[in-house]
Amino acid sequence: MLSKPDSALIIVGHGSTVNQDSSAPTLEHVETLSRRGGFAEVVSAFWKEEPSLRQVLHMIDSDEVYVVPNFISEGYFTRTVIPRELGITGPVSEVSGKKLKYCEPVGNHVRMTELLLRRAAEVAPGVPPSETSLLIVGHGTNLNDNSALAAKREVDRIRETGIYAEVFNAYMEEAPLIAEWDTYTSQPNVVVVPFFIADGLHSFQDIPVLLGIEQEPGLAASQRQVFRQNPHPLRGRSLFFASSIGTEPLFADLILDQVAAFDAIHTAQ
Amino acid sequence: MNARNLNQMVAVWVADGFRQIGQIRITQLDSGEFELRHVEDLGRMDLVNYEDPFDARHLSLTTVDGEFRPLKSAPNLRTGWRLLIRNIADLRAALDLFYPAMLGVWASHLRHELQPVSFRETLDRQTGMYAASKRLQEEEGQGLVANACSVENCTKRQLWKFAEDQTLRLMPADKCSAESKLLEGGIREIPLLCHEACNLLVAAARETVKKRERAASAGAAAAPTHGG
Repeated sequence: MLSKPDSALIIVGHGSTVNQDSSAPTLEHVETLSRRGGFAEVVSAFWKEEPSLRQVLHMIDSDEVYVVPNFISEGYFTRTVIPRELGITGPVSEVSGKKLKYCEPVGNHVRMTELLLRRAAEVAPGVPPSETSLLIVGHGTNLNDNSALAAKREVDRIRETGIYAEVFNAYMEEAPLIAEWDTYTSQPNVVVVPFFIADGLHSFQDIPVLLGIEQEPGLAASQRQVFRQNPHPLRGRSLFFASSIGTEPLFADLILDQVAAFDAIHTAQ
Repeated sequence: MNARNLNQMVAVWVADGFRQIGQIRITQLDSGEFELRHVEDLGRMDLVNYEDPFDARHLSLTTVDGEFRPLKSAPNLRTGWRLLIRNIADLRAALDLFYPAMLGVWASHLRHELQPVSFRETLDRQTGMYAASKRLQEEEGQGLVANACSVENCTKRQLWKFAEDQTLRLMPADKCSAESKLLEGGIREIPLLCHEACNLLVAAARETVKKRERAASAGAAAAPTHGG
């Protein structure tokens, strides 16, 4: 296990002022890694919640601080907002007497493909992948949106495994549209995995409406007694809808891997 | 910056009588353990007991009515619970969940390492959707801060100025002071210090600007044209 008893770890999330489920996975990973005890300190920091990126360094004693963005891809937040708010100028930055080590976002991890496959299998137990279309869904057309590119990369990798009969990207706001899922998939079973960090507004409330599972946005994930029952018989197929990939507990391990990967690349610094 | 040990600092504060933070009272028990409870629950015997510092995450997440609390310093922490804490490290962990970063910010203040950033400076560095907030005017901005940061909405003390040469002139003086208040029974508070405007306020500044600009362009469109 990674042991950094003299270092702190900051897991950075986007957060939300309206939906409590947005920060939940980040806080869950902080709790998991705090309990494991590999770091002197493990804390969260958020753009829209507390502690903010402007507050977080005050709560840390350690001089060496690893910063891992809990984001699905590189983009506006990882390249502009987080560096600006924390004072990061490169892979290693001196800020307020601390050495900040800025790691890759967790979504860049090579094991993301394995996690997506695992989630797809879990959500449709006993359903043969050879008779299943797999959809990896993302937002699309956002400011500096690399998440669409990251989702495409994952689809390419999953296709190469040959496990599923077919694999597609689908987006909320650009083609192929989530809402038209039945026009480009051909298999009797369709598994949908949101390539999002949290079961927030888009992944949990908007996408089910686009898929046709629900007529209007329902309650937030945390407000429901039970997760939706799969499969949904819809448009002549069996549709299986998964929780966002970022709610996977193994993300905590990928965060640690991003720290180890940083050290492997920047050992001389 | 010299090496700091926040656990030790917290231990000294509590021993010195700093036993209230936000809406939480800290009590040291005979066993050496600590007990946290809501200040409105001081005399209550019917509280639900918790013993894991990470329970603070769930206790601070929503109001008693189930509403999400994105601002942890809002004066709407739920009542009805009692959290038992074994040691100083767990006390710090729990308080960091109830009032994120506030122990550390107070420590930085005491060590003269806290540098408030003016609201104007915060707005001026915004990009993307929040870039519009740069156009906040002083008059409307002062009113916005006085309302959004009022004690009814946030229990932090705003230590920042509106701009380098402009104070928060509509805010009460004690709301902008870092001084620890002496409370009943000789207890001192650990004040919640705000050294820079939060994202909620930046978002509200953006809304204020957008609203004014929408009204102005609607007014311009409705105004009779001259000439012709």
